[in-house]
Amino acid sequence: MPDDGLSEGCVTRAELAELAELFDRFEFALDPLSRDAEEAEARFNSRVQFIFEEHIRPRRPQLSFVIFRARVRNLCRVFLKKNPP
Amino acid sequence: MKPSLNYEELIEAGQPRLSALQRVGSSFLDGSSSAASAAFSREVCFVEASVRQTYEHIARLARRADSLDEVANMWRRMGAFCESALQILAGLKDKYPDCGAAELYDLVLDYKLACDDRQNRALEEKECLTTDFPKGVLPELS
Repeated sequence: MPDDGLSEGCVTRAELAELAELFDRFEFALDPLSRDAEEAEARFNSRVQFIFEEHIRPRRPQLSFVIFRARVRNLCRVFLKKNPP
Repeated sequence: MKPSLNYEELIEAGQPRLSALQRVGSSFLDGSSSAASAAFSREVCFVEASVRQTYEHIARLARRADSLDEVANMWRRMGAFCESALQILAGLKDKYPDCGAAELYDLVLDYKLACDDRQNRALEEKECLTTDFPKGVLPELS
């Protein structure tokens, strides 16, 4: 297992690390109105939507996007606590 | 070493700035006088700094929070702080039209909405953690 303590799923470790970096930039932005925070949130949402449509929905058609997105956000929180920026 | 302030204490520390804004804003009959404008503009600047700084502190603490309940409570309290500022500004921004109060109202409203977003996200995550979720979709943390 890699040093970051993750095992592979439908969402890869690399994708999670990328999403966590984006999540950090908007969820914990010191200025929530900054352009960087807004861009990071838009990219995060776009990436989560893309991953869901491309990789998750075909295999798990019963899984809702809202629940998937919330789970991804929560995993990003946990990832960031284990791997502080 | 003394323990650092918790989020409740940080938010409480900003309350005197809001009280001062209310007090100064109510102390002049004519908000367009130069003395009134100068005094009120000064308080507007202090409140803006207080909102921005308190938000920064809460954002730092939220990253280290131990639970989603704690995250949601932090943002709920910060949102309430913003709401208190909005109520004061709503009653005074027309009385002091050239003191930055209207601009500060818009800024604080955006901060309040940012707090609401973060509180709602934490609550949504908490709720979703109680529902069944298939294994293998997301990487597992060891």
